[in-house]
Amino acid sequence: MNALPQLSMTRRRALALSAAVGGTALASTACSSGGSGGSGDPNTFDFWSFTGIGQKDDVAAYKKLAPEVNVKLTEVGSSTETAQALTTALAGGKVPDLCLIQATELPKFIENAGNFVDLGTLGADDLEGDYLDWVISQAKTSDDVLIGIPTDVGGMGVAYRTDFFAAAGLPTDRTEVGKLWPTWDDFIATGQKYTTATGKPFMDNANTTVFLQAVSQGAEQYYDDEGQPVYDTNPAVRESFDLALKAIAAKVTARLGTFTDGWTAALGKGDFAAMSAPSWMLGSIRSAAPDSKGKWDVAVIPGGSGNWGGSYLVIPARAANPKAAWNYVKTMQSPEQQLQHFLTSGSLPTTPSNYEKPELTGYTDPFFGNAPTGQIFTQSVLGLKAFKVGPNTGEISTAFLDALTGVEQDGAPADAAWDTAVKNAKTAIGA
Amino acid sequence: MSATLTPGQVGAAAPTTSTRPVESRWERIAPYGYVAPFYLLFAVFGLMPLLFTFYVSLFDWNPIGAHTFVGLDNFRKLADDPRFWNAFRNTFSIWLMSTVPQLLLALVLAQVLNSARLRFANLFRMSMLLPYITSVAATTIVFAQLFDRDYGLLNWFIGLLGFQHIDFMSTALSSHVLISVMVIWRWFGYNTLLYLASLQAVPRDLYEAAAVDGAGPVKQFRHITLPALRPVIVFTVITSTIGGLQIFTEPLLLSGGLLTCGSARQCQTLSLFLFEQGFGSFKFGYGSAIGVALFVIIVVIAFVNYLLSSRLGNREGKAVR
Repeated sequence: MNALPQLSMTRRRALALSAAVGGTALASTACSSGGSGGSGDPNTFDFWSFTGIGQKDDVAAYKKLAPEVNVKLTEVGSSTETAQALTTALAGGKVPDLCLIQATELPKFIENAGNFVDLGTLGADDLEGDYLDWVISQAKTSDDVLIGIPTDVGGMGVAYRTDFFAAAGLPTDRTEVGKLWPTWDDFIATGQKYTTATGKPFMDNANTTVFLQAVSQGAEQYYDDEGQPVYDTNPAVRESFDLALKAIAAKVTARLGTFTDGWTAALGKGDFAAMSAPSWMLGSIRSAAPDSKGKWDVAVIPGGSGNWGGSYLVIPARAANPKAAWNYVKTMQSPEQQLQHFLTSGSLPTTPSNYEKPELTGYTDPFFGNAPTGQIFTQSVLGLKAFKVGPNTGEISTAFLDALTGVEQDGAPADAAWDTAVKNAKTAIGA
Repeated sequence: MSATLTPGQVGAAAPTTSTRPVESRWERIAPYGYVAPFYLLFAVFGLMPLLFTFYVSLFDWNPIGAHTFVGLDNFRKLADDPRFWNAFRNTFSIWLMSTVPQLLLALVLAQVLNSARLRFANLFRMSMLLPYITSVAATTIVFAQLFDRDYGLLNWFIGLLGFQHIDFMSTALSSHVLISVMVIWRWFGYNTLLYLASLQAVPRDLYEAAAVDGAGPVKQFRHITLPALRPVIVFTVITSTIGGLQIFTEPLLLSGGLLTCGSARQCQTLSLFLFEQGFGSFKFGYGSAIGVALFVIIVVIAFVNYLLSSRLGNREGKAVR
């Protein structure tokens, strides 16, 4: 999630690509055959994960609980790269026994659920109740087949710099700060106050900090409950888009794309004062700006609810050792173990039975001014309504985010942005 | 044809017709044996994937789902897809902006490095290869840091002079210029050395004779240098065409790993578009159609280039002879 792994992943991808241009990679992925039959050592299994999500800790913890089992963990690269590698493997290579997939990548796999083990056959029905309804429902096919177990959700808050807020004459206490912005309009107004007082940008950008959060607070996003695309007619999408345009017009953003090198540098230098941050983002801030320890705090997000990201564990149908993989999932994604994982890596559990445990509600983060992050992030996911995620949710989202980036950074006219976004989303779905 | 024919007679004729042909048969076969390993490998790793890509392009091919035969539908969609034409324009523009100045620069530098008056010539010649042996990723990191909007060295300097920072990646033209500068920086040395090698094969007395006849540097260049360089120019033009039209890494890394290369796809090349569709959206059929289109485009442009560049200095070449 930070700049360095991203670079190495693009380089690797670039190497793979010089071959793909001639068609080699397309062909080799599609025509190589084989795979594993179902034999193999019952106590050994392959696990593909992405980097930066702390699965090494989980595997190490599992080795203590089940010393006879040998987990071969491969951190493939970014979440996108991991999904691509899994796709390639499913198309005709050697599949892992277990794979971690990011929530936004999951819909395409659900569309082709035959590639995965129906977890109901392994006994998932008994465990389903342990997880948040809306999170587990997004891992189900239209015929209610469950293919993934959710490992974490991205509960939302606003991370802000107390020292900058004080300099701008704004309150610094997180309760008071939260009261500054019950709505996104208030959030932008606070930004204007800050920018007027200091002459510096208030937030990192308008697209992930405003649009992405606002659009996920409704009961419906780009698809309706029947799975029909409604991104161009759903008023909630339009309102969120206009909010982001408003933030851009107010000139309170630093015009930095999330996770770009400039964004990382700006975090380190303290060039903006606030950003929307899901639970896992705190790790990115910590590593991008290690010197700013104690200057940060976390307040509630405008609108009170939100989720950004989250991941699922899936077992490919051709896995050599699905039983061993399932035992691992069952053990390590139990409420107790998810709580442990939160305490070591900061990823918010998907198991609501934890949300009242004192270890979680009482958890404070010293880097962020001892903010009760467990409690803040938990509140934001409890307020969340489930919405239907469709096969092209990722592409549609990109079309809207890109149109906003165009206005914010590249000088595209704001009044044409909505039409551009809708047109590009249509093209992306159609082709 | 008669009974008087003896075995001895047949044998007498045999040496000329039996030992020579055996030898020449081997001679005729041997070259095929020597080139066979390459062509076998090419058939497996070059031709097969190429044909298979064409096959896949006729399908609506989900790598992990259904493969539906759709005929030429993907190509029809491609012709109507504004993203394809945008990528085509970008690729062509970047290729033109990087190849032409690069080869001209290499031509001039090769002349200078070939000068008899240059001291430490080998040192200068060797240093030409430095950009080429540096990894693309490393080069891109340096370029990204030089040209960054907020924290780039160049923009820091521009800011000192009191001007607004320039966001090179924000518009099509400026991003193409930046990518082209990177490609030029990386490849000009390689091409310079190729030209230089060719120049050194030209006998010096040709120039001396021309000078005696009263030909100035410009005339010498046109009538001696250019014709001598013609084969290597054809070679560099064609390799630059192939490389330039497949450009992928530089725009990808300069845009921070975005396959769309900008909010309005302002620097998305055909290779990036291919990868976005094939591996980003899992549309292998559509991605393959882009691959086939790219292949055809490269073949056509390389052929046109071959025709144009092989005519270069042709007449002059004959005049000298």
